[in-house]
Amino acid sequence: MTTATIPAAPRAAAVPRSDFRVCGTTGRRIFHDAEWLIRVNAVASIVALLIGVIAAVGLVLTRWPAVHLLPAQWFYRVLTVHGVSMLIFFIIFFEMAVLHFAGAVLLSSRIAAPKVAWAGTWTMVVGAVLTEIMMWSGKADVLMTSYVPLKAHPLYYLGIILFAVGALVQTIIFFATLVVAKREKTYQGSVPLVTYGAITAAIIAVITLLHGAAIYVPTFLWSLGLIPAIDPQLYRMIWWALGHSSQQINVAAMVSIWYLLGALTVGSVVLNEKISRTAFVLYVLFISMASAHHLLVDPGFSPAWKVVNTSYFMYMAVLASMLHGFTVPASIELGQRLRGFNQGMFGWLKRAPWGDPGFSALIFSIVVFGFVGGITGVTFGTEQINIIAHNTLRVPGHFHATVVAGTAMAFMGVTYYLIPLIFRKQIAFFRLAQWQPYLFAGGMLVFTMSMTFAGTFGAPRRHWDIGFANAPFDVPYHPVVNVMLGFVALGGLTAAFSVFSYILIAVWSVFLGKPYAPGALEHAEVRNPERPRQPTPALAGR
Amino acid sequence: MPKYGIPNGLVNPPRHSPDVDERNAALHGPERGYLGVTPGTVVLVFVFLAAFMLYFFTNWKLLSFVWKIG
Repeated sequence: MTTATIPAAPRAAAVPRSDFRVCGTTGRRIFHDAEWLIRVNAVASIVALLIGVIAAVGLVLTRWPAVHLLPAQWFYRVLTVHGVSMLIFFIIFFEMAVLHFAGAVLLSSRIAAPKVAWAGTWTMVVGAVLTEIMMWSGKADVLMTSYVPLKAHPLYYLGIILFAVGALVQTIIFFATLVVAKREKTYQGSVPLVTYGAITAAIIAVITLLHGAAIYVPTFLWSLGLIPAIDPQLYRMIWWALGHSSQQINVAAMVSIWYLLGALTVGSVVLNEKISRTAFVLYVLFISMASAHHLLVDPGFSPAWKVVNTSYFMYMAVLASMLHGFTVPASIELGQRLRGFNQGMFGWLKRAPWGDPGFSALIFSIVVFGFVGGITGVTFGTEQINIIAHNTLRVPGHFHATVVAGTAMAFMGVTYYLIPLIFRKQIAFFRLAQWQPYLFAGGMLVFTMSMTFAGTFGAPRRHWDIGFANAPFDVPYHPVVNVMLGFVALGGLTAAFSVFSYILIAVWSVFLGKPYAPGALEHAEVRNPERPRQPTPALAGR
Repeated sequence: MPKYGIPNGLVNPPRHSPDVDERNAALHGPERGYLGVTPGTVVLVFVFLAAFMLYFFTNWKLLSFVWKIG
């Protein structure tokens, strides 16, 4: 029998005892620098989230034709801020926290080269601050994609490069920490499934960040006037190897958190760990090629190149998501049934802890990611269908369902566990915290569905005025588009209120909250049942 | 002042009962039928596939409206 927790292992002789503490809840040894790296990266991500959601409110109130709040220039400025703050800074800062948690904390290991890890963290902070200053001061109104020949101030590109370098440094430290943990025997057998998923996220992160360097360094030199021009088609191809692959870091990290939250909230038992690990490997092998679906209407690539990348390789990555989409709920169901909630077809779901914000966030993340984000995403990967969806609101409708309702929701859910476990604080406004995932899921569901339908009727994305006022041509829309854009605002504002609530809860808990100090050393003991199938808990090493 | 709380998974950690192996063996018994050990999830998978098919074919229908032949 194994348990969900990893037994404490002998420490390395070179590390002083005071550098570790023992978690009063899980019994794990937590390295001091690992804990603080998680804290700083998590706080930085919340700051980025706050900036991003303020921008989001401006955007939805502008896309709502009845309000049309911002002037055109500020719309594009705020859209740039929203994209970069949310998709890059919020997500990647949080993922760095996840890497340190899945590496040093879950393996009860010290961090390899903590000073270098700190250097990486502060490099990311400096890069993020520099980029934000450039965006807010109107020197980088180029949207997140910054397609050439749109040119921003050189410091904007430098900020992004610094951020990426810092992230790469922290990712390398994560890999080095795995080596340290293995060498110092802080765990037995294979790494836990959650750590395995984080490893795949880190591998994809390296691929992604190298592509980012390959395109942002020349663009930076171009903005300085040292390079005469950047080929727009080449830029788009390499940039999307960064832009889309970075979202696959999110997916791998999100799925890892699904397994983690399943284990923490209901003691989920993984149905077949080989299947889950194989699915993670599929992400690494095929997800980068899936970036080609952003180029389906670009004239510079052959149909064969597009079809091979999007209709074969991409489906292998989709297969991985569908495998996880089955194994995560199945592991929850099996865990629940083994705990006695075995009544009927859905008794396990009915008796689940719906008042636990970690659990509700987990379920909503799976459902909205799969049903809305997954289905819409796969259809866009078909070249012919992409023609009718390209550059319409269907595209942001899709990726808000995956990255926001999926990834961000999972990150929010795990935050409610990280605050007691890592910050050692209780959750403030706990009743609000219990409602927050419901508000967020409801708001994002209305937002993404309405956006998708508005796009189906031809409403363009990234456009300040869908009515094209004062244009020399007439652009008629079905009247339902205005209704849908109203629902976009309604759903968006509901989700934004939920995000503000989440930030309030997190900030109050961390900086003003009551300490959390469990008296007894309690383990969440979820045993690995014996035959016939030997399913394993997601947190246990094999 | 805000009211504080701790998620259920920490204050009431999920535990398996001592007879977990017997429960597991029963769940994997042949009488469970073709839906197997996790019948609820299998049903949810088919709901997902139905939604997938509906949305996918709606797109092709929409494509036929947008790009008319003749």
